Amino acid sequence: MKPPPFEYFAPASVKETLDLLREHGDQAKLLAGGQSLVPMLNFRLVRPGALIDLNGVPGLDGIREEPGMLRIGAMTRQRAVERSAVVRERCPLLAEAMPQIGHVQIRNRGTIGGSLVHADPAAELPAVVAALGGELIVRGAAGERTIAAADFFVGYLTTAVAADELLVAVRLPVAPPRAGHAFVEVSRRHGDFALVGVAVTVTLDGSGVCTSAAIAVTGVGPAPVVAADAVAALVGQRPATTAFEEAARRVSAQLEPHSDLHASAEYRKQVGGVLTRRALALASERAAGASR
Amino acid sequence: MSMAPARKYVSARIKRVEDPPLLMGKARYLSDITLGGMLTVGFVRSPHAHARIVRIDARAALAMPGVEAVLTGEQVRAFTQPIRAEMSGASYRSTDWAALAWPKARFVGEPVAAVVASDRYRVEDALDAVVVEYEPLPPVVDAEAAMTADAPRLHEQHPDNIIIQARYDNGETDRAFADAAITLRTTFRHGRCTSAPMEGRGVVASWDAADGTLTVWASTQAPHFTRAGLAAALDLPESRIRVIAPAIGGGFGPKMHVYPEDVTVCALARRLGRPVKWLEDRRENLLTSAQAREFVAQAEVAADRDGTILAFRATFICDVGAYSVYPTTAALEPMTAAGIMPGPYRLRGYSYEAYGVATNKCPTGAYRGVGMAFATFVRERLVDMVAAACAVDPADVRRRSFFAQKDTPYTTASGIIVDSADPAGSLASVLDAAGYDGLRAEQRAAGNGRLRRGIGLCAYTEFTGMGSGTFRRRGMTQVSGYDAATVRVEPTGEVRAFLSAASQGQGHATTFAQVLADELGVPLAAVTIIEGDTERCPHGSGSFASRSMVVSGGALILAARKVRDKTLTIAAHMLEAAATDLVIDDGRIAVRGMASRAVTLADVARLAYRPASGTLPPGVDPALEATHHYDPPPATFSNGTHLAVVDVDIETGEVRIVRYVVGEDCGTMVNPMIVEGQLHGAVAQGIGNALYERIVHDDGGQPLTTSFMDYLLPTTMELPSVEVVHSETPPPGSVSGFKGMAEGGTIGAASAVANAVADALAPLGVEVRELPLAPDVLHRLIARAARDGTRA
Ligand SMILES: Cc1cc2nc3c(=O)[nH]c(=O)nc-3n(C[C@H](O)[C@H](O)[C@H](O)COP(=O)(O)OP(=O)(O)OC[C@H]3O[C@@H](n4cnc5c(N)ncnc54)[C@H](O)[C@@H]3O)c2cc1C
Repeated sequence: MKPPPFEYFAPASVKETLDLLREHGDQAKLLAGGQSLVPMLNFRLVRPGALIDLNGVPGLDGIREEPGMLRIGAMTRQRAVERSAVVRERCPLLAEAMPQIGHVQIRNRGTIGGSLVHADPAAELPAVVAALGGELIVRGAAGERTIAAADFFVGYLTTAVAADELLVAVRLPVAPPRAGHAFVEVSRRHGDFALVGVAVTVTLDGSGVCTSAAIAVTGVGPAPVVAADAVAALVGQRPATTAFEEAARRVSAQLEPHSDLHASAEYRKQVGGVLTRRALALASERAAGASR
Repeated sequence: MSMAPARKYVSARIKRVEDPPLLMGKARYLSDITLGGMLTVGFVRSPHAHARIVRIDARAALAMPGVEAVLTGEQVRAFTQPIRAEMSGASYRSTDWAALAWPKARFVGEPVAAVVASDRYRVEDALDAVVVEYEPLPPVVDAEAAMTADAPRLHEQHPDNIIIQARYDNGETDRAFADAAITLRTTFRHGRCTSAPMEGRGVVASWDAADGTLTVWASTQAPHFTRAGLAAALDLPESRIRVIAPAIGGGFGPKMHVYPEDVTVCALARRLGRPVKWLEDRRENLLTSAQAREFVAQAEVAADRDGTILAFRATFICDVGAYSVYPTTAALEPMTAAGIMPGPYRLRGYSYEAYGVATNKCPTGAYRGVGMAFATFVRERLVDMVAAACAVDPADVRRRSFFAQKDTPYTTASGIIVDSADPAGSLASVLDAAGYDGLRAEQRAAGNGRLRRGIGLCAYTEFTGMGSGTFRRRGMTQVSGYDAATVRVEPTGEVRAFLSAASQGQGHATTFAQVLADELGVPLAAVTIIEGDTERCPHGSGSFASRSMVVSGGALILAARKVRDKTLTIAAHMLEAAATDLVIDDGRIAVRGMASRAVTLADVARLAYRPASGTLPPGVDPALEATHHYDPPPATFSNGTHLAVVDVDIETGEVRIVRYVVGEDCGTMVNPMIVEGQLHGAVAQGIGNALYERIVHDDGGQPLTTSFMDYLLPTTMELPSVEVVHSETPPPGSVSGFKGMAEGGTIGAASAVANAVADALAPLGVEVRELPLAPDVLHRLIARAARDGTRA
């Protein structure tokens, strides 16, 4: 339960951080909130030669409104996002997911960027970003690039961020009018990673017909699963139980989850469908409420 | 000589006097102990469940900075003896548990080599550098498989893996089954659990070459057992070893055992001539601290048409892991389960077979509710199955089948004597407090949606305060069974008591002070309780199996009475009155009805220690101190009833506990607040066993639950608030009126929750036969019942 030896760096700027990353290459690890990295160090599951602490780097945190988008700095604490009135208003799906991440103590330290780059297969935030079609802003020696959510989550604990790059922010589209959202999950205990979780948005037109929707499922594969086929069962229809059930069936059919200690693949497949149905019902109800 | 003064503190809700230092970070735990020149030890642990150790190359580790020594099993066997738990009785087979495994390791996590370095960081770096070559052997990781003739054998000196077996029949069982209108038979399983105290195990050892003594600070529940176990393993007389238990962050059973790490740390301190420390981390705790509860039972019940329970037959197979633990042996779990199975029921017949079977897994041992929690699960599930089969309310089946209070002392069908209990009264109090009929009405009204309401009951008896008679009967010859107290009034009048008990959070500093202050008639604040030191405290057993208040408490009362009698004799002489005319209250001894004719306890003490300052009564020796070693009757039984109300989400298998009521009867309560605290914690652990906790191994014996990410303890978010109804049925003729009560919450909770879940899912055709009931398990059971239902 003690980490192997490493060299510790506390850069004071993004540039200094990038220089250190270049210097130490894949020997380096960035330290954000430490809520995933420090346990992994203590279990000696990772043995970085250099630990580069982002906590003293200015300009990486904060929540900012941009036209049609919400930009959240990578080092923004999860708890700050959870408590943000702007997030609750502009990006209610994210707000709903936040309290389901770990515990208050974890969220006080844990960052948005850390969770996204760590990319735990059962984490909430990757599913939220995938469902919303967010963008991830990454900086390297060559400058900044923007990666679409669909291209960002590459596999198990793996993202498109290169070893010499840094995630600086995530940009999420703000919720349109007449939209509803839901994030529902089953976890063994409050604060545990999800056995399976579903992030959903539903948008209606003035007459109550679904114009667009999104479904992303977490805990069912190396990366969040976006269920486009299930969405097709809803769009162009008035939300109704039969449509939710059809979407749920399609989600279950699409999922190819793994078994682990806490749940079988079969459980995740079936319950993924159940939660999809529940999330769609809740999101549609909220969308209808927002239309009134 | 005199009547005890009226009890003033006993039965009062007094705040725990030990809490301020604990809460303010001032208490001294094992990790706070630092000695000059101290080194840290870590263990290379077997990554294999079963393997021959071919060779160990420590050269690279020894060359690392700060590394002082590396010790292997081959080396340590030259100067230590293996830990050997002994037991009388022909069917028992002892095991040798070496300080470091050699020539083979028998479970993943077994210590194979020890690394000594300046600090824990360097230790862990060096552990990585010790190269061990293993020759893996076929492991056996399932008790039933381990019983087959061709199973790999753990201990070559024995013909098979069965460490203990026993058979019993009260002689009426077959007839009761033949006469019964209803018989049911099924198999129950319980997952392996661990107690996971906040603080893991730990040892600091320091060898004093000047006088050839070893001082050991150990996170132990039983300092004298630790001393005895270490003395045997280190070939030292017990008088050369002092064991001190500092503040302890939870014990729950496993800290009553002696482990290889304890022996190795002491041996290293002696050989290196420097103090040595080892503190178990969480991974080590989940790998190697004694585990519990892994049982399979094939069980049968016989009942009348009206649900009256007539008889049980059961075969208990307990997976005891790789070694038989000191000093209770591997018989502890299976034999306790078999003995407690009749519980509070009036049975005609009972027969059992019980087996403790060695497997390539961490040894099992004492854990709160040992054996009792599982047997209660089997019995209380069978009782509910009978209720369902007869279409009789589960409360009625119980009421009909209990023995009556007027029949106590009651000899159960397993031959255990329940000294006192009122099972029907306990049940009635819980049904009343919970509003049982209303709960059933709500349940019916809740209907058949996705959330199903269930109500579960559990009635139990709890084996507590065992004396040597019980350990003799059980063949546990290494367990002393008695406890002791020394009560001393100091020359300046403060009262100190030295006990053989060893608190791990139970609040002894408060409850024993309450008892003692009442016995001596002094203010609570005048009393200090001292435990956990084999040099300061008299010889006894320690704190486990819900014994402290009965046994150490009994010793305390008897020692205090000697001191009180002597105090009165001296005071009578000082006051020129008859001792029988004196009353003690608040530290003053006065002549009855003449408050001004009085002396204080300090006055009496001054004279007792400085007889030259006055005159002691003729024939009275100086000083004011007495010791009593108390060996109580074989046991006294607490009993209780739990009621759980749950909602089960039948689509996800999630269980939420919406109501929890406990009826507890532990005789006279010393401190109802502490009784409730014990119940809350114990219920939490029982709920953990019911829904969350399970040590999982893969087929090769590799543990998969080695962090709290995977071994799931319930948190405050999962736990209900626990309503407690007290009743008090003191044991007849006892010294104190007290019974033990630390385990009842755990014993009752798993079964009450299991029965509630079963009740919720009964309409779907689901039967509950296994714990824990994870969502995945319930989801599978519900799906299977639906399939079977469709087919039928
Ligand atoms: C008890 C507990 C419960 C938890 N429960 C949940 C849960 O239910 N759901 C959930 O989603 N998470 C959970 N977590 C994880 C938690 O959310 C972490 O905070 C998160 O995964 C990592 O964020 P961090 O800021 O702590 O990152 P760190 O642990 O510091 O870093 C994680 C990884 O991301 C990299 N990294 C961090 N920031 C950047 C950056 N800006 N650019 C590039 N790489 C970066 C690091 O190098 C490291 O590899 C839990 C953690 C604990 C301890």
